[in-house]
This record gives sequence, structure tokens and C-alpha cells, in this order.
Amino acid sequence: MPEPDRDLSRKAIAQALADLADTDRLTLVEIAADGVTTFLLHRDDNGRPRGRSWSATWPGLAGERGWGTHPAETREAVLRMARAASSTADVMLVAASSADPQVEQALAWLRAAHPAAQVLRAEAPIAALIREVIADDPLTRSYELIVVLVDSDTSRPRLTSRQLFPLGSRPGARTRVALRCEAAGAHGTAFAVVTWQGPKPRLLSVQSAPVAPGRYEVTAELVRPGRVRFTGLPALSPDPRGWDQLVAALPDRLAGGSGPAHLVCAVEVCGADDQVAERLSRARQMISSASGELGGLLRVSLLAYAAHSYDPSAPEFPVRIAAWEAGAGEALNALGALEERGAVARGYPYHPHAAQLEDMLAVVVERLGRADPAPAVILTVGGLPPHPARTDQSRILPCPHRHDWRKLLAALRQRQGTVLGAICDQPADQAHQVWHRIGAAALAHLEAVDVRGLAADLGLVASSPVHLPFPLLDETE
Amino acid sequence: MQPDPSRERPDHNIAMWGAPGSGKTTLLAALFIALTKSDDDWKIIGSDPASSDYLIEKTNALLRGKLFPEANMTMERYHWTLLGPALRKPGFWSRKAKPGPPARIGIGMTDAPGGWYGPAGGPSALDGSGDPRLQKLLDNLERSRGIVFLYDPIREFTLGDAFDHMHAPLTRLAERMLAAGEFTDGKLPHHIAVCVTKFDDPRVLETAEKRRLLTVDIDDPYRLPRVTSEDARELFHELCQVSASGTADMVLKALDQFFHPDRIRFFATSSIGFYVDRRTKRFDWDDFQNMVPGEADEDSRIRGQLHPINVVEPMLWLGQRLAAIRPTVVS
Ligand SMILES: Nc1nc2c(ncn2[C@@H]2O[C@H](COP(=O)(O)OP(=O)(O)O)[C@@H](O)[C@H]2O)c(=O)[nH]1
Ligand SMILES: [Mg+2]
Repeated sequence: MPEPDRDLSRKAIAQALADLADTDRLTLVEIAADGVTTFLLHRDDNGRPRGRSWSATWPGLAGERGWGTHPAETREAVLRMARAASSTADVMLVAASSADPQVEQALAWLRAAHPAAQVLRAEAPIAALIREVIADDPLTRSYELIVVLVDSDTSRPRLTSRQLFPLGSRPGARTRVALRCEAAGAHGTAFAVVTWQGPKPRLLSVQSAPVAPGRYEVTAELVRPGRVRFTGLPALSPDPRGWDQLVAALPDRLAGGSGPAHLVCAVEVCGADDQVAERLSRARQMISSASGELGGLLRVSLLAYAAHSYDPSAPEFPVRIAAWEAGAGEALNALGALEERGAVARGYPYHPHAAQLEDMLAVVVERLGRADPAPAVILTVGGLPPHPARTDQSRILPCPHRHDWRKLLAALRQRQGTVLGAICDQPADQAHQVWHRIGAAALAHLEAVDVRGLAADLGLVASSPVHLPFPLLDETE
Repeated sequence: MQPDPSRERPDHNIAMWGAPGSGKTTLLAALFIALTKSDDDWKIIGSDPASSDYLIEKTNALLRGKLFPEANMTMERYHWTLLGPALRKPGFWSRKAKPGPPARIGIGMTDAPGGWYGPAGGPSALDGSGDPRLQKLLDNLERSRGIVFLYDPIREFTLGDAFDHMHAPLTRLAERMLAAGEFTDGKLPHHIAVCVTKFDDPRVLETAEKRRLLTVDIDDPYRLPRVTSEDARELFHELCQVSASGTADMVLKALDQFFHPDRIRFFATSSIGFYVDRRTKRFDWDDFQNMVPGEADEDSRIRGQLHPINVVEPMLWLGQRLAAIRPTVVS
């Protein structure tokens, strides 16, 4: 039944829009005093309603000779106005309530052509009404913000989304999110809103701004479907980057600058003098390189270990903790003392084919166990394998303390945020297989190590100036 | 009347024979130490001052320097005498039996000359007549009625040349014995103690363990694992299975071919024995190796105290067997 009430029309249109499935179309044909206007509505990839329209005046529809001269042609012209409406699409006919014969004739033709069409009566032009309905359309997809999560074990960043507005949200809805921003490069940090349809997110909007690194309390407001406004941030502007481009900007690993780091350097100090000097100098380079980039955020522990004595008349050189969780400067001083001392525990009765690697691991496990489970990078610099806990196929004499390097390494690998790296005297293909485990995250060759690259591989520093294109979810919240 | 054999002419001779590095020198020094320590009536002395010095020097190296004795190229010129308890008259077990003069058994040592000619050496080399070492070994073996044959399982793991080392000399020896009419029961007249050396090595001990051949003497305060002579043949056989060349099995066949079963005995021997912690004074399965390896150019050293295993036993067995035979010099 025709219904003149504007509110009722609005409701009817809103309902038809709400019923509009992703792949369907809704056709509204307005038959007004001045002519016919057709509105074609659909939902885009984000579920957001979109519309276009076209119109014709009565003279335009009837031709030069006027209404009634060629009724068949005029009828054809009127019906063609609703041409985009396929037989399955919903059609609504909105007619002016004035007793205009042209209006009534056109309505009659259209009703005959679309018998299932709902008919409304409305006075004012309905364009404004449709815009209103579209602007107030509740979300048919949840709107989510793209954020970065960092795996605490591998320090690899990955993308995920944080819901801003659930299904059914209406304009005016607000959500607060605590975010952390990192240095983001030329384009700034991108605030990308997506919807999910299947496994791939669909980009709804990307706005960005150069945001100083830090924590932000951000409010997101749903202005209208497809438009989210962020407050609590510097002014954002549209970002020209597409989804693939944004994802490609995500680094493999997070910058060292993302938090404080604890570098544990353990150096084998037995063997030839120049070899020991070389190992210590690599440790020095590593500490200097990391501290150059992390500054006060870097804590350094330095350990020295040598070979076991197998004769009670010769003193054992136990594992030496030259520094523990010290500043880089203090650790470098302690390293200087080790350099001055040089190689220890040489010749009989010190074992020539193994070192106290297992004792060193025992100290590290014990010391790290005392503190909070803060992330740590353990860098071992040496060449000899550890002593076994008991006589085994290796025929290396067992550790006098019966430390079991396998268990100790397993304990370190299970410890949260603990990364194992090594610089071995031998190149990787010649290194004792134990070194591949001691340097599980990265194994470098003493003579050919790129210290800066190794620091990056261990997640100690950024691989290149790392930019995070998206904000991080602040989990301290 | 009993002859009174001169120092230069022992009643019998024992030839110690094994591949270079099989552990002869170490065994001799360990024997000296073990005999000195033991309550047995046997002792070992040099047959001349040079041989005594050699023995003392090697023994000191082992005890003090914890060094393995250095390889000696001219050890064939050294001779020692194993001096046993007094020989007894035929009524051995009788209380009335009176002691006679002590048994004297000469010991000579020879590196098996296998390094110079093996199967690869060709027929002329196989003849061996041109090799002075082979001649010396044969002279030594011919003179002897006891043989200590050292079989080095570690060398066998890696080189597997034990058969090459032993087969030709045995064949030549049989030839000589046959010519001398000493091949009476179709076998060589010799007694042979086959010592599987380096029993302390984890690979050897493990093999014995896997075959359940290990026993512990109830009286042994250290509880050192051993293999009895009865089981040592099986250990030998087992070790032959892992030989690098696969010819080790033939060593056993050759032994059976040339020696009378009553005259062969196997020993699982270690000159240095197992490491025993000074505080616990107990053998420890987790930590028993008694050698500290040396740097690349250095030899291994001995880690703790020496605990020789089956070092004296082969000598005593041979000594007793030979003492029971009338000395060859009398007839
Ligand atoms: N494990 C172990 N190794 C031994 C033993 N005796 C000798 N060796 C090793 O074998 C090497 C050669 O020993 P040596 O007595 O010189 O052999 P030779 O050439 O037959 O006189 C020594 O340097 C040691 O490394 C032993 O009882 N146990
Ligand atoms: Mg030697």
C-alpha cells in the first residue's frame, strides 16, 4: 500500500538496505512531478552501501511531441529507466503523492513490469532520504584496525587486527585502543581499517601520519560506514599505499630499539694466544656495536671459560663471570682484563679437545634463572665442544662436575625470549655439530663474521633502520 | 741334578709380539710395576744393564711423567728375564717337595714387521727373506716356547691389519719348526697368550659390556670390570666383527690352525687400567677413561693411578706352563 509518511519510507528503505545481500542490488525508482530518477544500491567489498543514480524528465521520456503521442515508446522509455534492475533484484517504486497523470501512468507501467515491487508514497525528493539511510546503515562487517604483534621468542613481528566496531555498530560509535608506535619511515605510521571476508582482510581505509615513537591512547569513531576517525594522534591524512605495499613494508624482525636487551657473551679463553685474542676482539666488537645502537638499554654479561684440568695437582680455571648485567662500558673494561690475561689452561693436564662449555652454560642457566624472565641473547665465542656428562662415544673425558650440556641447552632454549648465537673458530660446515645447537639462531665463523649482521640476526639491533608501518598493540594495558 | 742356567741362558723364552703401537712397551713397564707391587714370587729384571735401564726409564715415564713410553726402534736388542719362584721337583703338590733353583724365562720383544710387506707388497715381498725385521721375529719366535701376542682392537677398528701382521710370520715359523722336527702334534710347540690390549678404551669395554662378558672380582676394592680368560676369546671374536678390513676373523682361524687349543689362552688386557677417583676409590661407569689426550703433536698421558688389568696374568700363565716343561737346554 502507498504510504505517504516520510519516516515510514525511510524505515522501508533502511529495511530493504539491511536485507541487501553482498551480491544483490536494490533499485529505487522515484517517480516525481518532474520526471523519473533511478537509484541503484549495492554493497562494496567492505559491506558498505554504495549507490548511483540517473534521471530523466517527462519531456525527455515522452519525446518532442509530448506525453501521449506515442504511448508505447514512452512506456519503453520509462521502463528502461529501471533497466539495471534484473528480475532477481529488489525494486522499490517511490511515487509522488500528487495526482499527476504522468506520475500515475508511469507508476502503472512500472508496477506491471515489476509486480513484486514495493510501492511507497513520498513528497520530497528521496535522494536525501537515501543518503541518510546509507549514512546510518549499521555495519554488516566488523571494522578492525591492523596492528603488529611481536613474538616474544623470535622477535618476529606479525600482523593481526584489533576490533574497533562490531557488526551492527552505527555511526557515532567510539572505541578506545592503547597503541604503541615505532619509527615508521617516510610514510609514517599507517592506521589501516579492514574488514574480514574469508582469510584475507579487505582494506577499508588507510590514514597515516609521522607519529613520534611512544604510547598512544587512541579513540576511534565511526563517522559513517567506511569512515573511521582517529583522535589522540597527530592529524592523519590518506595514505596512497595499497595493502600489498603496506604488508611488504613489515620487517622480518623487530628493531633492537623496541626494548632493553641483555647480551651474554661467553668466550673460550684456552687455545692458541692469537685465537683467544681474536675471539675476545669479536666479543668486543659485538658489545660495542650493540651498545652503539641501544645505548643505555643494553645490559652486558661477560663470561670466560677454558679447559678442564684432569690432574688434581694442576689448578682448574673455573668459569669466570667477568661482568653480569653491567653497562657496556663496564663490560668492555672487564673484557680488557681478559685480553690482558690472554690464553689460560694450556697443555697437559688440560683437555685439548674440549672446553668447559657445559660449566659456562650451567652458570648462565643459573644466573638467568635468578632474574625475571627478561629476554637475553647468549653469544658463545669459541671452537671446542663441551665435555659430556659421562663417558660416551666422543671419548672426551666427562665434565668433572657432571654438567650435562644437552639439558642445559634445552633449558635455555625453553626459556622465554632467549636467543642463542655463536661465533665458531671453524666455518659452519666444519664446526663441531654441538656448535650448530649453541648457535641455534645464528652461527658465524670467527674469521668471517659480520658483527653488525650477526647482532641483527640475533635480534639485538635492527637489521637496517627498521620501520614498523603499523602501530603495535600495547599489551602493558 | 738341576742345571744351573746362566743369566744369559734362561730356561725358556717368551716372545712379545704385536703390531707397532699395540702396547708392548707399555705392557712391559706395567708388568714391572705390577710385579713389583704384587705378592707373587715373580719378578722381572734386565738381562743386561742396557735392558735394565730401558725398563726403569719406561717405567718411570709411565709412573712419574704419566707419559706413555716412547716408541723405540731398536727394542729387539733388549732382553729381560722373568724370574719365577723356585722350580720344584715332580711332586709339586707335596709338602715335602723341596725348592729348587728359580725358573728363568727370557723375554724379548719384536714389532711385527707387517708395515713393510702386506698383501699389497707382491710375491717377492711376501717371501720376506729380505726383511731383517721378519728374520729377527722368526729367530725370536723359534727360540721361544711362549708367545705374548698383542692384538690392538683400536688399531683393528681403524686399520684392520692384524691378520696381515701375523699370518706370514706364523706360516714361516711353522715352516722352520717343521724342518726342525718340532711340529709333533701337528701344531706349533708354543704356548700363546693372546692379549686383547687397551681393554680400558670405551669402545672395547662397551663391546664387552654389550656381550655381558664383564665380571668384577669380589676382592677388588676398586670393583674394576674384567673379562675372564674363558670369556676373553668371545670378546676377541666380537671385536673381530668390527674390524676395518673384515679379515680379523681370520686371525682367530690362523691361531686355531697353528696352536694347540690347550696352548692358547686369551686375555683382556689393559696396561693402564681404568681411572678411579681418588676420593671415591671406586670404578665409575660415568667416568673411567684413564688417558688425557695430548695436543696435536703430543702423546696422550695417563690421567690417574695405574690399575693394570691382566698384565701379570698372561706372564704367569706362560711362566707356569713353561716351568712345567723341562728346560730345552737340558735333555
Ligand atoms: N687405552 C690404552 N692405550 C694404551 C695402552 N697401552 C698403550 N696404549 C696406547 O698405545 C700407544 C702405543 O703403546 P706402546 O706401548 O708404545 O706400543 P708398542 O709400539 O707396541 O710398544 C701408547 O702411546 C698409548 O697411546 C693401554 O693400556 N690402554
Ligand atoms: Mg712403544
